[in-house]
Amino acid sequence: MIWVIHTLNGISFGILLFLLAAGLSLIYGLMKILNLTHGSYYLVGAYIGSTVIATTGSFILALIIAPIVVAALGAVMERFFLRQFHLDELPQTLLTFGFLFIFADLSLWIWGGDPIMLPKPALFSRSIDIGGLGYPTYRLLLIGVGLLVALILWWFQERTRVGAMLRAGVDDAEIARAMGIDVSLLFTLVFAVGALLAALGGVLGGPIIGAGPGTDFDVMLLAFVVVIVGGLGSLRGALVGGLVVGLLDNFGKIFFPEFALFTIFVPMAVILSFRPTGLFGRA
Amino acid sequence: MVISAATILGRSISRRVVASTLVCAAPLALVSSVSLAQQAPPLKIGVILPLSGNFTPAGEDALTGLRIYFDQINNEVAGRKIQLIVEDEQGRPDVALTKARKLVEGDKVQILTGFVSSAVALAVNDYAREKKIPMVVSADGGANELTTPGPLSNPYLVRTSQNGRTPSAAAAEFVFKQGWRKVAAITSDYAGGFDTIGGFAQAFCKLGGSITQEQYPPLTTNDYGPYVTNIKRDADAVVTFLPGANGLKFANQFIELGVKDKMPLMDIFGQIAYEPYLTQLGANGVGIYSVLHYTPMIKTPENERFVKEYVARAKRLPSDNGPDAWVGAKAIAEAAKAVGGKVEDTEKFLAAFKALKFDSPKGPIAFDKFGQVIHSMYIRKVEKVGNDYVNTPIQTFNNVDQFWPFSLEEFESYKYRYVDLKGSMTDCKKVLEKK
Repeated sequence: MIWVIHTLNGISFGILLFLLAAGLSLIYGLMKILNLTHGSYYLVGAYIGSTVIATTGSFILALIIAPIVVAALGAVMERFFLRQFHLDELPQTLLTFGFLFIFADLSLWIWGGDPIMLPKPALFSRSIDIGGLGYPTYRLLLIGVGLLVALILWWFQERTRVGAMLRAGVDDAEIARAMGIDVSLLFTLVFAVGALLAALGGVLGGPIIGAGPGTDFDVMLLAFVVVIVGGLGSLRGALVGGLVVGLLDNFGKIFFPEFALFTIFVPMAVILSFRPTGLFGRA
Repeated sequence: MVISAATILGRSISRRVVASTLVCAAPLALVSSVSLAQQAPPLKIGVILPLSGNFTPAGEDALTGLRIYFDQINNEVAGRKIQLIVEDEQGRPDVALTKARKLVEGDKVQILTGFVSSAVALAVNDYAREKKIPMVVSADGGANELTTPGPLSNPYLVRTSQNGRTPSAAAAEFVFKQGWRKVAAITSDYAGGFDTIGGFAQAFCKLGGSITQEQYPPLTTNDYGPYVTNIKRDADAVVTFLPGANGLKFANQFIELGVKDKMPLMDIFGQIAYEPYLTQLGANGVGIYSVLHYTPMIKTPENERFVKEYVARAKRLPSDNGPDAWVGAKAIAEAAKAVGGKVEDTEKFLAAFKALKFDSPKGPIAFDKFGQVIHSMYIRKVEKVGNDYVNTPIQTFNNVDQFWPFSLEEFESYKYRYVDLKGSMTDCKKVLEKK
């Protein structure tokens, strides 16, 4: 029964990794820039979530407000700053690096330097019994919400007009523009959605990973690993990559505790050496 | 506790204003003084603390403690104005060394103080020894080697904060007395972690207990679920040393996965039962045991006065860094007074420093011949008092020196250094092997 718990631990962490990586992957897929501010969206999302919970006591409100605010931040970043270097990926990436520091300092200034954990919603703060061992319902909630988000994203990409435009933009931005697709609007939209997903990860991951100075870097690193394993630009890759990394990391820590520092990076190195584009990435 | 933007803003502004007025005040005092010729030059103290980056809260705690004492004596001792020059080391040893050089060679400070990170303290140690500048470690920097005989020992270094192993030894005494003989240990995977759990293993094995499981999560661990699930349930208690955010992340999983209801938790150094975390853990934190050389709940007039002043300034309860830095400031001032203000006579100043004895917020204070503070260790238990969650002291060990409960001779007679025991802490025979 302890192995069921270990597996659930791995899956729930993997789902969280998917939420953290999906936005990064989307943005790279369309715009070909590595958004180094991605971890900051998580951090700011978690902090705003904590403030909302502290003032209203509602986890649901935090789950709604924080992602929307952060999505707006992402849209503003793209519209007014990245737009200055349209289609010029290197300066854009450098710009996102600058934003990483701005967000880190602003967060330290507003929320202080003490690490925080978000409180869990009251409904999901209990455990259920699995073979005589308690298992927190919150982690089951996390798995459910993560799968729901994956489903919505899949529907959005495969079944909606905007999704079709998005896929066209990813495949060949120039031709898509020639066909009359407003790629520039898509850029802003994708940036906002990417930020929204990371902030959602911030609120949902807040009770497990928490937030504090440096969490932005940690989360960015995790998201990179997942995206590299799954393949840049692929949502399916982010989901499978997240689950693979989450499970391998969990069991790696159990069976090879002395290599705990590398359990996340070993699968990445192995996959890179056999499939340099990741599991679902295209060359 | 939610700290509003305004509080933080107010705090950081006031910090800068105070710093600049202090820097300006000294020359002004010189000019306005009637007895211009007799006014002694200011006593310049270089303060090296992390005021940005991960260690910021600890750095701010220490700075507040330091300021409380110096403000109390109007920033003046033995006829000399005290001038603090505060430098931010950003939690980085290389930056700290650059700042130390700037303070000593540029600002001509007579004393260096502060030091939260052990790595920072070790980086500046060599330089201070070479320049023969008194180095008063008065915050977390707890590397054992700084005050024990050996290649790193520095005759110009004194420490008013704890060293790494003594809280562990006190934890071992307490755990054994509770009748818990087998413990599962979870410690961060770095030098400080091995020192802490090594100190525990040595004291615990000698008493007759044993560690039955060792786990070493990396400092960068995000999800503590696997480690908590992996704890062997046949142990009598769980012993941890998980610094920084790690303590909070671990505690959440420990509670969430239901292990806290079944096994007592001893948190060495109070990294989980850290005051800002207690408000976050709320009712779930009640019952956690921890060991530290301080708790804001100590009922002495010295401490009650200190806590009141501290809360007024920082809007939160002090951690150990506040009183440690307060003791550092008081010791500097008292030693300066004892040598008539002539701190430039380094040997005499340090001799006077090591001879000091006084009462402090953390209890009675003295120093050993290596310059390490002798103070008290408190076993604390998280309790709810009124609407607050606090660390109530439930047992006190007094006069704890750095080798306690061993003598220096016994301490040095053991064959293995703590770091070499990683992976074999469960083997008491090896832990207690003599040279």
